[in-house]
Amino acid sequence: MPEKRIVLRNCNAIKPNRISTYLAGGGFEALSKVRGMSPEQVIEEIKASGLRGRGGAGFPCGLKWELAKNSEGDGKYVICNADEGEVGTFKDRYILERDPFTLIEGMAIAGHAIGAESGYIYLRAEYHYLLDSLMKAIEQVRKRGFLEQFDIDIREGAGAYICGEESALMDSIEGKRGEVRYRPPFPPTKGLWGKPTIINNVETLMNIPQIILNGAAWFDQMGTERSKGTKVFSVSGDVERPGVYELMLGSSLRELVEDLAMAQRVKIVQVGGATGRIIPYSMLDTPLSFETVLGAGAITIFDESRDTIDIVYRTLEFLAEESCGKCAPCREGTEALVGILSKFSRGEGESRDIVVLEQLSQAMMLSSLCGLGQAAPIPVMDSLQHFRDDYENRIAEKMAVQ
Amino acid sequence: MKNIAITINGLQLTGREDMTIFEVAQANGINIPTLCYKSELPPIGACRICVVEVEGSRTLVGSCHTPIAEGMVVHTHSPKVLATRKVIIELLLASHCGTCFMCSKANMCELRSIAADLDMGLPQVPTRRLYYPVEDVSPYVIRDLSKCILCRRCVRACREIAKQNVFAVAYRGFESKIVVDFDQPIDTDVCRDCDVCISFCPTGALSRPSKVTDEKKGRPLIICD
Ligand SMILES: Cc1cc2nc3c(=O)[nH]c(=O)nc-3n(C[C@H](O)[C@H](O)[C@H](O)COP(=O)(O)O)c2cc1C
Ligand code: SF4
Ligand code: SF4
Ligand code: FES
Repeated sequence: MPEKRIVLRNCNAIKPNRISTYLAGGGFEALSKVRGMSPEQVIEEIKASGLRGRGGAGFPCGLKWELAKNSEGDGKYVICNADEGEVGTFKDRYILERDPFTLIEGMAIAGHAIGAESGYIYLRAEYHYLLDSLMKAIEQVRKRGFLEQFDIDIREGAGAYICGEESALMDSIEGKRGEVRYRPPFPPTKGLWGKPTIINNVETLMNIPQIILNGAAWFDQMGTERSKGTKVFSVSGDVERPGVYELMLGSSLRELVEDLAMAQRVKIVQVGGATGRIIPYSMLDTPLSFETVLGAGAITIFDESRDTIDIVYRTLEFLAEESCGKCAPCREGTEALVGILSKFSRGEGESRDIVVLEQLSQAMMLSSLCGLGQAAPIPVMDSLQHFRDDYENRIAEKMAVQ
Repeated sequence: MKNIAITINGLQLTGREDMTIFEVAQANGINIPTLCYKSELPPIGACRICVVEVEGSRTLVGSCHTPIAEGMVVHTHSPKVLATRKVIIELLLASHCGTCFMCSKANMCELRSIAADLDMGLPQVPTRRLYYPVEDVSPYVIRDLSKCILCRRCVRACREIAKQNVFAVAYRGFESKIVVDFDQPIDTDVCRDCDVCISFCPTGALSRPSKVTDEKKGRPLIICD
């Protein structure tokens, strides 16, 4: 399947600082259409489209909106998650730089659907340079009168990976230490300042205007059974052509990695960043979808010159550094995983360490409070499954030296 | 308020709509261990020791903060649950200072008592131990944070019960620490003599200084079966 630009259709086609170029291509027609529809109709359309969240978890978008709409209480919120902290993702940045208007339109439609009057864009600290252009884009939309029923403000992060996690993100907006909250209650029931709130990734919201204009059936016929539409991928690592690619969901990893990004001598593809899956070369024909592997679409390629344990060790070092520290299994567990992996990387690993790695991973996946601690063991478990030899060879080398 | 029927360990039980799994279990004599939860304080779900298996759930769930739902089927002591609790305690012990034999908390320590209940061996996992100097400036409370397990009971007790807000969490991940102000040793300026935090600490991290006239005697080791 070739590249297909739906989310990125305006990128490099319009001028991000000129709303007239966006309007000329049909901008804000979806919002006008939605204003003539009831919230129920809008939500029905999104549900029927099969759109799922692009921030990593793949939660059905329409269902999330419906929960928030049906929650009692006024002063609801729409939050756009532009924290983009996952290692190896830069597609939201690409979008924010090139097409802020579609995002604003998507948020305004979400506001209409759930009955919210205000929304926030939570912008990653490292994207501070985009603050000015985003504010100007919002101002232009406001001047044209599209934000009269629903207004948007921007809040900046301070450089913590965990603040991309929805509940920590809300704590951060509230001015608190960005830390995970237990769930339930989920944000659509009790979110920002205790009000019903929806949080959606940039890319999820980018899909909304097109779905409204072209209809749910148009969207539903793209992709696979349970993964509709396209996905924007951030490709980096040992490739000739790194960058942002938009592909139909269900396309194979090989197509993206070898055909488009022109990678050679691939050993490992990490799909979904630090908490993502480790895919060996032999599984390169895996389709990219929610049913198989996807995450937020970070694709990091490692060629044959790379060392598996080194990759896993560095990944876990990152996660230990970024753990918020609230819950015991993640706070202590990531540290312990790093400890064991550092033994292997120094060539001091022992057979019983593999057993401990597995026991720790299992407990962390089952008991951590949030997605970070639950997914932190994935690189360890995946590498033990596909590259167990790399661990065992290290142990054997050590025995040989002794 | 509505009554809700749930099953815990094969027993058909009912609870009020707003009750948590832990509360229903406790009301029916089923003992789930807890470290960060205290009924007087709002739950935070931090220690994860209270996790239980709920059929149909991908992960285990924290029983101290998860409300019951109609038809829920819960296992509080399944092999999966016990194995997980063991790892969590093992992790907490691995980074703990390890001087139980000279700790004034002795057998009153909740960490030790849960470890004993779970038939723990010595920890296998390598982690770092964080040693902090003992803070004994205040005449009201001694803080020995090498023994702190970050349950945050002191933070919440000071805020909710003593209404003082002396403590906060600083730094993150493994380096997280309960601090006063900008990580100053606790002194007389910020804390009055209320003892609330000390009574809530599950470990020997917080203790009461002995006064000049106190007869200093170690707490006897209490052995019960
Ligand atoms: C540790 C962690 C980090 C996350 N970081 C991000 C992020 O940077 N951007 C994002 O959109 N979602 C992130 N998420 C997922 C969000 O919690 C949330 O599921 C998502 O924003 C929902 O939007 P969606 O339904 O549109 O995908 C993160 C989750 C976890 C557990
Ligand atoms: S899993 Fe990690 S990041 Fe998530 S709440 Fe626990 S300590 Fe914080
Ligand atoms: S000092 Fe005691 S009560 Fe406070 S967080 Fe540490 S262990 Fe818990
Ligand atoms: S007692 Fe429930 S998480 Fe600590």
